Amino acid sequence: MVNALTPETTTRPPRPRSSAPAGATADRLGRARRHQAVVAYLFLAPTLLFFAVFLILPLGFALLLSMSRWAGFDLGDIRPVGLDNFTSLFADGSTFLTPILTNTLLFALGTVALALAGAVLVATCIDNLRFQGLWRTLYLLPIVTTVVAVGNVWKYMYEPGGLVNGALNAVGLDSVAFLQDPDTALPAVVVVQAWASVGTAILILTAGLKSIPESYYEAAALDGAGPVTVFWRITLPLLRPSLLFVCVTQFITGLQSFALIIVMTKGGPGDATNVAALEMYRQAFSYGDWGTASAAAFVLFVVILLVTLVQLWIFRRKGEDA
Amino acid sequence: MIRRRFPWLSYLVVVTGAVLTVVPFLDMVMTSFKGPGESGTLPYRFLPEAFDLSNYRAAVDQLDLPVLFRNSVIATTVINASVLLTSSLAGYALAKLRFPGRDFIFRLVLSTMMFPPFLFFIPHFLILVHWPLAGGNDLLGRGGAGLTVSIVALAMPFLVNGFGIFLMRQFMVSIPDEVLEAARIDGAGEFAVWWRIVVPQTKPVMVTLGLLTFVDAWNEYIWALLVSTANPGVMTLPVGIQMLQDHVDPTRTMPIVMAGLVLSILPVLVLFLLLQRHYVRGIMLSGLK
Repeated sequence: MVNALTPETTTRPPRPRSSAPAGATADRLGRARRHQAVVAYLFLAPTLLFFAVFLILPLGFALLLSMSRWAGFDLGDIRPVGLDNFTSLFADGSTFLTPILTNTLLFALGTVALALAGAVLVATCIDNLRFQGLWRTLYLLPIVTTVVAVGNVWKYMYEPGGLVNGALNAVGLDSVAFLQDPDTALPAVVVVQAWASVGTAILILTAGLKSIPESYYEAAALDGAGPVTVFWRITLPLLRPSLLFVCVTQFITGLQSFALIIVMTKGGPGDATNVAALEMYRQAFSYGDWGTASAAAFVLFVVILLVTLVQLWIFRRKGEDA
Repeated sequence: MIRRRFPWLSYLVVVTGAVLTVVPFLDMVMTSFKGPGESGTLPYRFLPEAFDLSNYRAAVDQLDLPVLFRNSVIATTVINASVLLTSSLAGYALAKLRFPGRDFIFRLVLSTMMFPPFLFFIPHFLILVHWPLAGGNDLLGRGGAGLTVSIVALAMPFLVNGFGIFLMRQFMVSIPDEVLEAARIDGAGEFAVWWRIVVPQTKPVMVTLGLLTFVDAWNEYIWALLVSTANPGVMTLPVGIQMLQDHVDPTRTMPIVMAGLVLSILPVLVLFLLLQRHYVRGIMLSGLK
């Protein structure tokens, strides 16, 4: 991805195609170039129009809203309030910092930790098996499934009469009210998010594993290194760029996700599973408070931007391409 | 090397993981066949007593599944057609044409991938509400409900995709200039060059991008929820099924919800299984999902 930020220029040496005098050739080239620019902008017109209406205008609009008080649909009622929305987010008694922003970080960290551990384990093991494509396809099934399906099936599985509690009871354990208990609700949702995202991580780690030269393993085998030593000394260090990439991208995804939470718990019980993006959504579309909602969106955006910058910095410093 | 010493250990890990991945899907299918009073009761039972097909019938009737399907299909088709077309056009311009401002536009395209979607929900919604001359609005976008009453609203914010443009451009860069130049000398205009030479050469990437777009658009939930809150007539499959889940007694309707979910994820699963190689390539290329 880092490479992609520097567009390579496709330079085409101008070649005179006729034996006409130099002046006429230059003139024709100039005309051809102007023509090409017009055509290029025609090709880009739908895209640029879209970006103007659905990217640049909304960004400005959101920034304006975040510094206004507005509860309605009449554009004339927007009242500028400066940074009030931001200060009230962080004021005493506001739930935004704790538990909401804390939940957001815990949710993202938890899913990354679980998904990464699972993915490293499975990816290294798949690498040794036959029918690798088949296994990887299986692990991808959750990603291509709608969040409504994933959320509802797991919600149902967490019920007293559901599969998870059925399994607990079968081994003699008591049922747990996973989504109703404030202590277990967030971890329960984290497990689902990790379950749903582990396939992507496996895919990227597998690509990383394939790029480790077989000769390293052969040399280690000649030296009599055991599988554990080989894993810690060869596989993990050489897998680091892929690990880092999965880690940071999934962390960013985790910071923004809230659809699964809407489907499973709606942020409850209390604020136990409320996260920043969900809070923004509720402020806007349940309470009609566009200002507070936009301010919350920008705070979360800044957090994600910082994480992204750290990501770019890490990859650039290591000179590694994800 | 693990392979040589502990092949069974690898199998154990991978098979356990695969079971954990697939079991929720199986539970969904099994529940969809359970009769009244059979789901959500203790002790938990995985298999249905008799494979009861009436839940599928009920899902089609109670959920108004045909309408939900139609809305989902329309939105997904419009998004896919638009994303493929605009990505190919813009990708061609950025890869193969020389014009002032090209690097700036390319950077703009890349930067769109950096903005998280939640930042746009509020402004997009308000822009559609205030869309001029639509849904009873005047020229300044006042007075009516704007485009939120239209099925177009479902697709609007997804019509152009920065990643799609980036993907197409990366592939088009590798098409040799000589081929395009030859066509131009033969008198082909830029549009003909794009349509006759570039588009056929990029078909495999189109399939990849089309599949990624299809999966995302078909599964989209939050935006569709917003639009159909304003106008229930444009409800899509995920939204409709979730509504039923929210409003009716869960122990009684769970098998019906599950039947609806099975039917709603079926098209994506079939397409994914047929074209999964392309999907895998898409994820590897984006790494962003």
